[in-house]
Formats: sequence, C-alpha cells, structure tokens
Amino acid sequence: MPNMDMPSGALVLLILRVLRSGTLHGYAIAQRIHCLSSEVLKIEEGALYPALQRILLNGWATAEWGISETNRKVRFYRLTPAGRKQLESQLADYERVHGAIQSVLRTA
Amino acid sequence: MKNLLRRLRYLLNRRRFDQELANEMEFHREMAAREGNQNFGNTLRLREEARDEWGWLWIDNLLQDLRYAVRLLRHSPGFTLTAIAMLALGIGINVAAFGYFNLLVLRPLPVRDPASLLQFERASPGNFADNFAYPEVAFYAEHSKTLSAVLANSVGRLTVGPEEEPMNTSFLTANFFSELGAVPKLGRLLSPALDDAPGAAPVVVLGYGTWRSRFGADPSIVGKTILLNKKPATIVGVLSDGFSGLGLEPPALSVPIVQIPYFEAGQDLSAFSEKSINVQMWGRLRSGFTPAIAEQELASLAAQLHLQHPKDVWEKETLPSRPGGFAITVRAEMYPVLALASALCILILVAACVTLGGLLLARGVAREREFSIRSAVGAGRGRLIRQLLTESLLLAFLGLLAGLLAAYLALRGLILWADLPAWLNPMPDGRVILFASAIGVAAVILFALTPAWHVARQRYRTTTMRQILIAAQVATSCVLLIVSGLLIRALNQAMSTSPGFEYQRVIALDPGPGAASPKEARAYLDTLRARLANLPGIVSMSMASNPPLGNRWTVFKTRLDGKAVNIHFNNVDPLFFQTMSIPVLRGRALARGDKREIVVSESLARAQWPGENPIGKQFSDGKDIVVGVVGNARLVSPEDSDAVEAYRLAQDDLLPSMVVLVRTAGPAEPLVPAIAAISKSIDPRRFPEIHLLRISFNQKVAQARNTALTVSVLGAVALLLACLGIVGLVTYAVSQRTKEIGIRMALGAQPSQVLSVVLRQFASPIVIGLLVGIGGAAALSQILRGQLYGLSNFDPAAYTGAVLAFAIASGLAALLPARRALLVDPMLALRYE
Repeated sequence: MPNMDMPSGALVLLILRVLRSGTLHGYAIAQRIHCLSSEVLKIEEGALYPALQRILLNGWATAEWGISETNRKVRFYRLTPAGRKQLESQLADYERVHGAIQSVLRTA
Repeated sequence: MKNLLRRLRYLLNRRRFDQELANEMEFHREMAAREGNQNFGNTLRLREEARDEWGWLWIDNLLQDLRYAVRLLRHSPGFTLTAIAMLALGIGINVAAFGYFNLLVLRPLPVRDPASLLQFERASPGNFADNFAYPEVAFYAEHSKTLSAVLANSVGRLTVGPEEEPMNTSFLTANFFSELGAVPKLGRLLSPALDDAPGAAPVVVLGYGTWRSRFGADPSIVGKTILLNKKPATIVGVLSDGFSGLGLEPPALSVPIVQIPYFEAGQDLSAFSEKSINVQMWGRLRSGFTPAIAEQELASLAAQLHLQHPKDVWEKETLPSRPGGFAITVRAEMYPVLALASALCILILVAACVTLGGLLLARGVAREREFSIRSAVGAGRGRLIRQLLTESLLLAFLGLLAGLLAAYLALRGLILWADLPAWLNPMPDGRVILFASAIGVAAVILFALTPAWHVARQRYRTTTMRQILIAAQVATSCVLLIVSGLLIRALNQAMSTSPGFEYQRVIALDPGPGAASPKEARAYLDTLRARLANLPGIVSMSMASNPPLGNRWTVFKTRLDGKAVNIHFNNVDPLFFQTMSIPVLRGRALARGDKREIVVSESLARAQWPGENPIGKQFSDGKDIVVGVVGNARLVSPEDSDAVEAYRLAQDDLLPSMVVLVRTAGPAEPLVPAIAAISKSIDPRRFPEIHLLRISFNQKVAQARNTALTVSVLGAVALLLACLGIVGLVTYAVSQRTKEIGIRMALGAQPSQVLSVVLRQFASPIVIGLLVGIGGAAALSQILRGQLYGLSNFDPAAYTGAVLAFAIASGLAALLPARRALLVDPMLALRYE
C-alpha cells in the first residue's frame, strides 16, 4: 500500500471536509479518508490525533461522547460553524493554488 | 484569545484529557487490529505527540527535569549545602545591602500620603540654609495657595522632672500629627483647635519609647502633670509605636511650638534675625499642583516678605523642595560611596558564583557516564543544557530563598543592634524581592551557563576554562582581601596613634543655648570660669567653638597633593593649645587681639607650602595670615588620619556658642559633679551638657572597631569562598586523573612528583589571578582614597599581608584534596573504568 506523506495542513483540510458530511469518531475519519482516496491515503494515528487536537484547540470541531458501532464509548467529532468557515477558506485557498499549479503544469 | 483559554483548559484538566486521548487511541488500535492491521507504534510517544498540540509539553519536560534535579541534589547533600550556602552568602549580602538602602531611602515613611509631602530649604545666590525663622514659615502657612498644610519642627532639648540630662524634644506646629495621620497609643495628640490658640495650656505628647523607658509604660499617664525645664506641663497623650515622624527618629517629647517661650525663657516666636527660633519646614502639596508651581509661589511670597524684612529674608530667596516623605534623601555627593558599596557587594556575588561554577564544572566529570548515555539514547545538546540549567535554577532558587532569609535576619539584627527605630520593618517588600530575583538570575547566568555548555558538549576536559575560572576567582577574592586589609590598617593606624591632643583629663562643658547676645554670653562665661578656677585640681581652662570629639564641626573639603583632605576649622581662645596639650612648633599661638591671624597644623603647613617656612604666608584666598604652626591634633575625627586643622581666634560674636574646656591634674571624673553644680548655679535657665573627652574618644574607637570588623568579615568571606573553590577544583582534578596517577605510582613515581602533576596546572592561573587582583585593588584603593580618608596609597603591609594570607590559605586548600591523589591504590585506579 503506498504511504503518502502529507503536509499537516492538508490533513486538517481533509478531516474538516469529511466531518462536513456528519459526526465521526477518529478511526472512522481515517477510514473514510482512506476509502474516499481509493485507498491511496492512509492516515496514521501519529498524524491523525495531533491534527484532531489542533482542530479542537482552534475550535473548528467539538468532541462529544457516543457509542461506536462496536458498542464502545468513543469520541465523535462535530464540525462547528467556525470549522465550516475555516473549511471554506481553506478550500478556496487550495483551489486557487491548485489551479495555479495546474496552469503552470499545463502550459510550461 | 479563545484559543488561549482552550489551551489553559487543557492545561488545567491535563489528566482527564490525556485519559480521553488514551481511550480514543486504544479504540483506534482495536479497530485497526480487527481489520488485520497489526502495525503498532509506540503508544506513549504517539500520545505525547498528540499532546504536544496543546502546547504544554515544556511544562511536562520542566517538571521531569525538576524531579530529576531534586533527586540528584538530595543524593549529594554535601555539594548541595555548600552550593546553597555560597549562593546564600553572595545573594544575601547584596539583598541585605539593598534592603537597607530600600528601608532608608526608597521606601516612603509610614505616614499619611507621603508622596505629596515636600521638604523646603532656603536658597539665594550665595546663601543656603535648611532652617527657617519661625515667622517666615508662619507667613507661608498663612498665604500659600498651593500647599494645603505647612508643618514645622524645631528641635530642642528639655529636662524632664528633676533629671539632669535633657531629652530631645520636638516643638511642632499643632497640625503635625494630624497631617501625618499619626494615631495616639493613649489620650490624644496635638490638635490645631486646642493647642494653637494663644494662651493654650502647656501640653506634651510622649513618644512611645519615652513612655516605655521613662514612665514605665504607665497606662494612666494621660492627664498627669510633669515638669519640663522646671515648668509644669500636662501629658495629653502617647504616640503609637508605629509612628515614624519625618526623619529617622520619632520625637521623644512633642510640645506645641507656640509653647517655646513658656518653656525657654527669653525665646520669642515672632523674632526674625539671630534671636529667631529655627525650624525645619515641610508642606503638603494641594492636589493638582506640582512642586515646581509651589516653589514659584513660595519664591514670590518670599519676595513680598523680603520687602518687610529686608535683612532677614534674603534678596531673591527661593525655596527649593525635595520629596519630604522619605527617611533619607540621597544627595549627589553620596553617589560615589553608594557605587563603591555596590561594587564591593557585587564583587562578593561574583566570587561566590565563580566558585560555584568551578564546583559545577568539577561535578560534570562525575556525571560523564550519565551524559554519554543520555546523548546515546537521543538527547540533543539543547536538551542536556536545559536539564543542567534546570538543576542550576533549582540551586539558585534555593540559594535565593536562603539569601532572602539571611538578609532578613541580618537586617533585623542590624536594627536591634544599632538601635534603629522600631518602625523600620526589615521584611522584604516587593522591590527587595524583585531585586533579589534579578540578582538570582544574574547569579544563574554567572555560575551556570558556561559549565552547562561545557558539560553538555562533554568538553569539560579542556583546562582553559577551568584556569580562567581559577584566575577570576583568585583575582576577585584578592581584591576584596587587599581592600579590607587596607581599610583595617588605615583604621588601626589612625586609632592606635595618639590623636595629638590630651583627651584623658579634659572635660568639655557646653552651656547650651540661653544667652541671646555676646554681652550676656561673656558675662556668663566670665562668671563660670572665675568660679571654676576656684576648684582645686584644675590645671588649665580654655574655650572653643567646636568642642573636641563633639557633635559640631566646621569642615572645608579641599584637595592637597592630589588627595581629598578635610580641613577642620575651629575658633578658639589663646589658651586652647596649652589646655589641649597641642605643641606650638613654629611661630606663636593665637593671642588676644588677633583678627586675620591663623594657626595651622603641621600637616597642613607641609602640604600647602612644602619645604617653605609657612609663617607669614597667606591662607584662604589671602583672608588669613599664618602666624604659627602647631602639632597635628585630630580633634573631630580621630579615624581620619589625613585630616588637617586650622585655628582662628574666636571673636565676640561667637561667644554664645562657645564650649568651655577644662583640663584636670588628676582623673577627670571626680570633678564632674562640682563642675555641673557650678555651671547650673550661675543661670537657672540654662541646662549645660558635660562630656568627658575620654569617653567620647572611646566611643569613636568603638565605632572604628565596628567598621573594621564589618570589613574584615567581608575579607574573610572572600577568602573562604576562594578556598572552597580551590578545594572543589583540585578535588576535581584529582578525580579526573585517578587513572593517570595510578599508572605513575605503579611505575614508581614519588609522592612529590604526583602532587606536582596534580597541582602544576593551578600555579599559573593563581599567579595571574593574584597579579590581576593586586592591580584591581590598587585601582580600587585609588577610588577609595577619594571617599575614605586616611587610606594610604601603597601600604606594603596590607598588600603583602593579604597576598601571604591568600597564598597560605589557597595552598592549604589545594594540598588537602591533593593528598587524596597519594592515597590512590594503583591497582584500583587501573581497574577504574
């Protein structure tokens, strides 16, 4: 399985994006990203939890206790309005940079 | 901002959040394992990384370092105690010195609103005085718009009851206590309503100390009548213990100023001119005004008053102000002494820190293995330095606490021992604690930074660093030792040589104030001397304006031969030199009718006119002509061997302030009662003071001895610090070279060869340090000479004494631990490591 190194800013963007569809616990976030990226992106615990702590600290998501599919108490993350706003601005930034890189790649 | 709050929440609930994180990661692991993914990382490390996002990891690290440091220090109590003691010494001396300064100079007096109090002085071009005639102050009090209150104090002396010795008394404006927010312990204090009215009853307020010592703390004292200067006065109250007054000493007795004429016949409150009652003046600034505006207003008021009293209020008189709410105001001439004292204190701190730095460096060797292991398992250099610094910080903190405690005890002891007023509180305040912390930080930088750097880099085998440390330490200690030696020698020399005049058998009789005019004074003095002359056992009698060893002097500061010199002027009568047994060496003594004629001391003549005959020379810009040279007689300050004297004939206008000197044939004491009885019987209004010069002289000796004691303690501390440092470094050198020594001994080296191997490396830094120290001491003594009189420029005894003491002490300090090298068992040493 290819193990892509990912800049931590991008990881935050992906987490916020998957959280927009609904509340998820940590493992599910990793799984969702893994699936949606056609199993290209594999999120390690060592990257996931620091990123989640940063998101909590910045108030982009809140954590609440819930019961997992395996009947275990676990933390679910819910996007806050501030997180939504952050996601939009990050997405816009990303689009702009991505577009710029694409145009360079295409024309140069 | 919100982010910070959330971070704080994480800090406060660290344990819970950490638990939650662990739970969550556990769950992640379970799920991953279920899907066949067995890639386990280090749980702890992963959790730590996640926690790092909270931004508090450094606290965990710090706590970890601290725990480790505490454990380490507890394991070597000898080192820890030595280090803390050294720091306590270095920091304590600085904090105590600053605390004393803070107490007297920086901290406002404990009175109501000290910030708005101003003390005033009089000045005009060419004139200056710190006293006002009372009517002048009364005029300002009545007319000033910028001052909400004007306070005045006239210092005098009153006898209490039948006792002979008068007590210090403050004659105060009645608003004095209420303005300063003083509260009575008993009864009431002075009040403007009751005590300022003309014809008010004579009242007195006792100081707390007076009440305790003179009146046995009698709780029913209020309302009783006592005799002050033989006049009845009612005790209306007792001041509380915590009242400071506006100087160092709270008044022992306080009497309304309007009662001066009642207690001291012949005094006139409304008098200007020479018969005036002199007072110190304070004002309380009305809110909204600045001192400059008040000064302007008072200057214009002074100009108005000058028109009415052109002789007594100076032309263009101004009233410069200074903050009035402090015990002592620092004046510019005190700066050099303060700077010098600070330099000496800081030198001790430096010596202590350098010594401790050496010890820390030496300890590095014992921990060589520990640090290799630490860096092998991945500790970076920064992390190692941080840990070493944490250990040093812990040491510094403990040393700081010990230093604060030591400084507090020292100040407390000083206040008790020197009998300073009780309202001085030696408890360190915020300013002192801030200062102590700054000193602590400076100490850490001084003693910890370089050793930490070297230990962490595992470069402590380099000897340069150690040699610089030794040289620095030897130099600072040497400076302290030589300077204290110089001071002690100077004091001893001054006090052991004869002061140049007879003090064993001379009695000084100060008639005190009473005579208003020279004519009255002459009548009194003539009667007094005629009656005294009839007493058997009196050899000679004379008069002087400044009594020997007394509390009045006239000093003119000048430079002679590049030395700062005090010229003590005295106005005497023709019999003075004979009475005081001061030999006339050239020319003649003063004689009746002399006006411009002056007699100078031998040293003054020699310094002023080296190699010439001083007789007939002009002095004081041609105002005086030298007619005689007398022996040196340090009449005012026997501890100042550089002082010189000059004498003029006392003219008639000085008669009211003359002191009578009586030389007896035998011991002076038996004659005192008779002299006291005669002096009092002539004029019942007077309360003469009688001093035995022998006792005054002994007091001066005791003072000088205390100074010498303080300085020698400093010198001894410096020596002790240096020795401790050398012991530490030699021990270190021996332990570092155990293996080498073992090999040498196994190959048959003699003990002396082994010793020289260990000690050779210390020889050159000690010699360099000594040289630098001698140079530094010479430079410092140059500065000292400007401030402390009598210090000789080059005193070989002080220098060689200090260097010898240093050589012997440091030799012993080096040899004792070096002996351990001889006890090394070659077999053990070779197996070592």
